Amino acid sequence: MRLLTHNMLSSNIKGVANGFPLKIEVEKVVQQEVDFNIDFLKNMFYKVEWKALAEASRTMGYAELPENADAAMLESDDFLHKFHHALLELHLEEGALVCPETGRKFPVTKGIPNMLLHEDEV
Amino acid sequence: MLSCTCNSHTYRSTSRRSFSTMKEVGTDNASSLLTSESVGEAPVLRPVSVRAKCSSNVQSTPEIEKKYVHGVYDAIAPHFSSTRFAKWPKVSAFLNSLSPSSLILDAGCGNGKYLGLNPDCFFIGCDISAALINICADRGHEVLVADAVNLPYRTGYGDAAISIAVLHHLSTEDRRRKAVEELVRVVKKGGCILITVWAREQEDTSLVEKWTPLNQRYIAEWIGPGSPRVMLGVSFILIQKLVSGLDNAILVDRFYDKSNWCIILEKTS
Repeated sequence: MRLLTHNMLSSNIKGVANGFPLKIEVEKVVQQEVDFNIDFLKNMFYKVEWKALAEASRTMGYAELPENADAAMLESDDFLHKFHHALLELHLEEGALVCPETGRKFPVTKGIPNMLLHEDEV
Repeated sequence: MLSCTCNSHTYRSTSRRSFSTMKEVGTDNASSLLTSESVGEAPVLRPVSVRAKCSSNVQSTPEIEKKYVHGVYDAIAPHFSSTRFAKWPKVSAFLNSLSPSSLILDAGCGNGKYLGLNPDCFFIGCDISAALINICADRGHEVLVADAVNLPYRTGYGDAAISIAVLHHLSTEDRRRKAVEELVRVVKKGGCILITVWAREQEDTSLVEKWTPLNQRYIAEWIGPGSPRVMLGVSFILIQKLVSGLDNAILVDRFYDKSNWCIILEKTS
């Protein structure tokens, strides 16, 4: 699971008011190179919730993202490469995503989150 | 044909692959007929009537789906995957018409046939079958296990979404409507959604003859050896009904092709 995906995921358990962002429990992180694409990064910049991305990135062991970001930073090659790395190149291979309100853990196995709810959570 | 703003973006081919970890699998076979759920040879059809159990909770998976759809797909995943490589030209055309650098959500992605099809875009796929999702992940795609009726996604994150041969696996009109609402919810304003479903109106009338006539109290099933049981195909009247009920999306295109209804929606607010 990449952080681009994590930034989209939200706990949809019944009764949860705000299931985003999910906390990350890390067991294994893998890094995988992805081609750099400025246009895609710019598109994603306006979608991501930055604080959640920065926090998730730190949890995954990459602390290079600034706490806050604004569009002016997109002019900086250095910023773009850090954003690229955090968004696309860090994979949570094994671990869990934790609902911020209920503490319920959604397992991540072989890089795949399982977000299916149990009968009583729907 | 109504015009769709989504199609105004021309596909721009580049020599550089933007997302090299995304691999295209299988061969294009533009001439192949893709009737939704035939697995290998034409199966023996035997209609069975089953009383539909109603649940007050539209997000609860009915037993009929667990047994006749999920269970079967999980059991046959590798075989199913090996028969699903031909890409339907209509879906390819839609995906290739999207702006480069789009984030595309495939809800019910199966074996990931369409993930990465447009190499200038980034795809995130989900399916309720862990077995099929494992196949996608082995091919390097970004995927998760999730329920199309209740997507664990923030609102408005995607640029576009697709739902290819999924809705007919949902056993009630309410669940189908919820799945369509979810597709609209997860894309941005102005985002486009392609939905294809196996049609109630079949080109091959011998298939229609084998169906139990639709009765309000029953859902007719189509059974082939080893293939998932498909709920009754979706009629055009039902499509109209599902779409007209949406208050934040409009129908921008619809067509019938090779026994499937296809609709393109655009999110308006």
